[in-house]
Amino acid sequence: MKHPLRWLAAGIGLVVVAFAVVLAVQDDGPRQTGGRLLGQEMPAFDLPTLDGGRVTSEDLAGKTVVVNFWNSWCIPCRQEEDELAAFYERHRDDGDVALLGVVRDDTEQAAREYAEQAGLGWTVALDPEQQAALDFGTTGQPETFVVAPDGLVTGVQLGPTSLGQLEQMLEEARTGAPSAP
Amino acid sequence: MSAAVRRWLPWLALVAVAAVTVAVLVARSAPDDSDAARAARLAREIKCPVCEGLSVADSPEAVSEAIRTDLRRRVDAGEADDEILAAYAARYGEEVLLRPEGGGLGLVVWGLPVLLLVAGGGALAVALRRWSREPRLEASAADEALVARARDGGP
Amino acid sequence: MVFAASINSALGRAGLLLMLAASVFGALAVLYGIRQHDRKLLKQGPLYAWIAFGGIVLAVVMMQRALITRDFSLAYVQQVGSADTPALYNIAAMWSALEGSILLWALILAGFTAAVAWRFRKRTDDVLVAWALIVMFVVSAFFAMLSFGPADPFAAGAPGVTSGPGPNPLLQNHILVLFHPPILYLGYVGFTVPFAFAIAALVTGRLGEGWLMETRRWALFSWAFLTIGILLGGWWSYEVLGWSGVWAWDPVENASFLPWLTGTAYIHSVLVQERRGMLRVWNLSLVLATFSLTILGTFLTRSGVVDSVHAFVESSIGPALLGFLAVVALSGIGLIAWRGDRLRAPGRIDSPVSREAAFLANNLLFGAFALVVLLGTVFPLLAEALQDRQLSVGEPYFDRLGTPIGLALLFLMAVAPALPWRAASGELLRRRLIVPAWIGVATMVVALLLGADGVAQVLTFGLAGFALAGVARQFAVGIRARRRAHGESPPAALLGAVRGNPRLYGGLVVHVGVVLLAVGLAASAGYATKREVRLAPGETATVAGYDVTYLETVTDRSDQKVTVQARARLVRDGDDLGVYAPAISTFPNATGGIGTPSVRTGLFEDVYLTLVSSPTETGRVTLGIAVNPMVLWLWIGGAVMALGTVVALVPGRRTTAVHLPAATTAASAATGPADGGPADADRVAEPEVPVG
Repeated sequence: MKHPLRWLAAGIGLVVVAFAVVLAVQDDGPRQTGGRLLGQEMPAFDLPTLDGGRVTSEDLAGKTVVVNFWNSWCIPCRQEEDELAAFYERHRDDGDVALLGVVRDDTEQAAREYAEQAGLGWTVALDPEQQAALDFGTTGQPETFVVAPDGLVTGVQLGPTSLGQLEQMLEEARTGAPSAP
Repeated sequence: MSAAVRRWLPWLALVAVAAVTVAVLVARSAPDDSDAARAARLAREIKCPVCEGLSVADSPEAVSEAIRTDLRRRVDAGEADDEILAAYAARYGEEVLLRPEGGGLGLVVWGLPVLLLVAGGGALAVALRRWSREPRLEASAADEALVARARDGGP
Repeated sequence: MVFAASINSALGRAGLLLMLAASVFGALAVLYGIRQHDRKLLKQGPLYAWIAFGGIVLAVVMMQRALITRDFSLAYVQQVGSADTPALYNIAAMWSALEGSILLWALILAGFTAAVAWRFRKRTDDVLVAWALIVMFVVSAFFAMLSFGPADPFAAGAPGVTSGPGPNPLLQNHILVLFHPPILYLGYVGFTVPFAFAIAALVTGRLGEGWLMETRRWALFSWAFLTIGILLGGWWSYEVLGWSGVWAWDPVENASFLPWLTGTAYIHSVLVQERRGMLRVWNLSLVLATFSLTILGTFLTRSGVVDSVHAFVESSIGPALLGFLAVVALSGIGLIAWRGDRLRAPGRIDSPVSREAAFLANNLLFGAFALVVLLGTVFPLLAEALQDRQLSVGEPYFDRLGTPIGLALLFLMAVAPALPWRAASGELLRRRLIVPAWIGVATMVVALLLGADGVAQVLTFGLAGFALAGVARQFAVGIRARRRAHGESPPAALLGAVRGNPRLYGGLVVHVGVVLLAVGLAASAGYATKREVRLAPGETATVAGYDVTYLETVTDRSDQKVTVQARARLVRDGDDLGVYAPAISTFPNATGGIGTPSVRTGLFEDVYLTLVSSPTETGRVTLGIAVNPMVLWLWIGGAVMALGTVVALVPGRRTTAVHLPAATTAASAATGPADGGPADADRVAEPEVPVG
């Protein structure tokens, strides 16, 4: 019994040490969910817009696209609205830049009312079946994606964005250097 | 009917009835291949991206509801199970799959318990056979008491 | 650095210091007493334990005072206390975050040490007892030290703060929050006692049954509280969290389940060592594993390496706990290896069809189950460490591997009590098992006829029938034996039988509880119906035969929270079952709403209502409606398990010599010996006369 037991004990002891090492090297920060789209192709979509038309990913091909998921009841969305409006003002006449808002997890009526009341000038698409929200890998709102003209996502921002950040992501999309979320 | 058969008859009957019962049970419990059932099964395999480990089937979150609807849509569109799971892993990361992979690193988590059961069961069987074959020394009560006292140094 | 922000923290720190000092000096004094064979010194050992207990009581009293008087000079009170929270929840706030929970652990640990010191105060010269005390002192000192370093509950907070966010809103919803952690900790910490005695046995070389017998009741007591604590957690998850489930395989839940698995194996396996002196290495390993797993559990909960509903804010406590875990595990393994030559059993397992073999199989199955749960919990960490990948392990894994093991354990539970010690003749087994086996099969047939499906579910029902019939048979045998011997009426015979062998009958009652629990789990997991419906006021949805009519929404505002309630009427088969009101509460100091489900608990099924989203502009609400069968039986099963444990803890009567007919002797001999009387528990058990 002595020898088998000691070998067994040694083996188990080794496993315990290995186990402790695995536990010790863990970093204990919160893990980020989402933002996997970076470097991937922008998902295709075909959505109705608030003004009654439709917008598809093909319509926006070849442009630098900023896709912003938002809704009427999320407070950070309201915070970033001014930033988006300022960005839109700067680039509304740039033929190669498009800003698209997508309503996420909200009723059409509430979104429409808010858009009218806030005077959102840019194209706002509805996502009635949450298809685009899922295809883009969103888990909440606001989430902003910046897509380069070749169709690859170069910038992701989870949470409210700012004018400066939007400009930076735009620059990176144009010049081709991806920015980290 | 010989005495031996009569002895075992209740057990044979039992085994027969049990076998039939289990057969019926297995047949009845075959997984439902309807679209709704497939979608429900897939919902148990995908983790709600904003929860701490709940599946989208269990989670009351809005994202989970959206994913459940999307799963039904994909199943109706004819996508295969692994296609759908792969799409979700691509979109939300590998950690959204609640069932660890079968190969690679997954061998650790699936293989070790099976290995333990098989090896342990085997060792048990071998040991039992070895012990039952060894001649038994019939120790008397006094013998065992003597040995116990000597070993443990107790009162 | 300010040493003391207020009188609360000054006295609190003093109390902690007292506990630390008393534990350290106690360990040293007893150690010295052993070496020098100084009986006087050994006799003082318990004194240190009681002083340490006094110290931690002072610290806890001061912390409670600080919480109740809202002393915001303490950082901890700033974190978990709040001027708006009712006083009752402030008491429980002590264990709602890291530092206070360590304080609670230390309190219970010192309490157990003091209790052990009291229980054995007349035997301080026994080396086994002395070493056990030393181990308990060392563990106490470690936890006291945690309260001086990484988990300081009396640290001064930022000046000028007049209120705090209060405990997590989830913890303010239900009275259960008061009970779940302390009860769970009683279970966790209680296993320190058998562990300490096991280490003492290894160190002193007294590896017979002495250490087992001393700690039998302590182990059973701790096991019972761990069981109840886990079930309370499940109940809380069901009643409060709103997803209508009882178990999520959350890492912290698993952390409490792991020591339960090895602990259950342990309390069964020690029966073999008591009876035949075998499985010594198993028992030492199991108790070592159980204690180590409690420390691992503490580590996982508090270090932040796993994401969990339970996770506390990470701190530097992680490395300390990990280091302690490594020291404990490796020392234990080393001691067992060192004493290997003394651990040879005097007996052998004679037959695969014997109770010893069944217990060995039991150990193997529980060990495998523990491995499954451990691997599943730790695999994401492993994947990240080895391949830098984020992976998850969830219900599909635990179900796939755990269900077959669980069914095998149920089977063993049904069969093993009928197996005699040493060896079974085929005739005996056939006679004992045939009727319960038929009842088991009949149960399956009935279930199928009633329309049940699902292999695991129906097998569970069949095994449940088998096990219950086996228990009934044993009770019947015991009652009949007593009636023949004493001529008692059936109820008196039952009482007499139980009193004569409380361990056996208590254990059987616990098994009944397990069966009820298993049936509840199988049915609620397998046959639940869940739907989400959008209803306007007055509209009705029907789920599984229940008509749910949404009536209206009521909003209630208080200082503590704002609650939106959706009132709905429940009707079944024309019977009005009343109005139920699931709600969502929002708290001023926390973002996001907390859902409160409304549950109609029935004997055979629950109706579980949740408010998924508040009324929209159209006035429609989204309600979650779930019908969950047999959930009540989970809690009934738990209560029965607790009852059985109480019976098993009762000191048995020493049976007087009675002339019994031969048949009865054989029957009672095969089912187990009578326990010794109260006087026996104090002494090392006499080696048993084997009854053939």
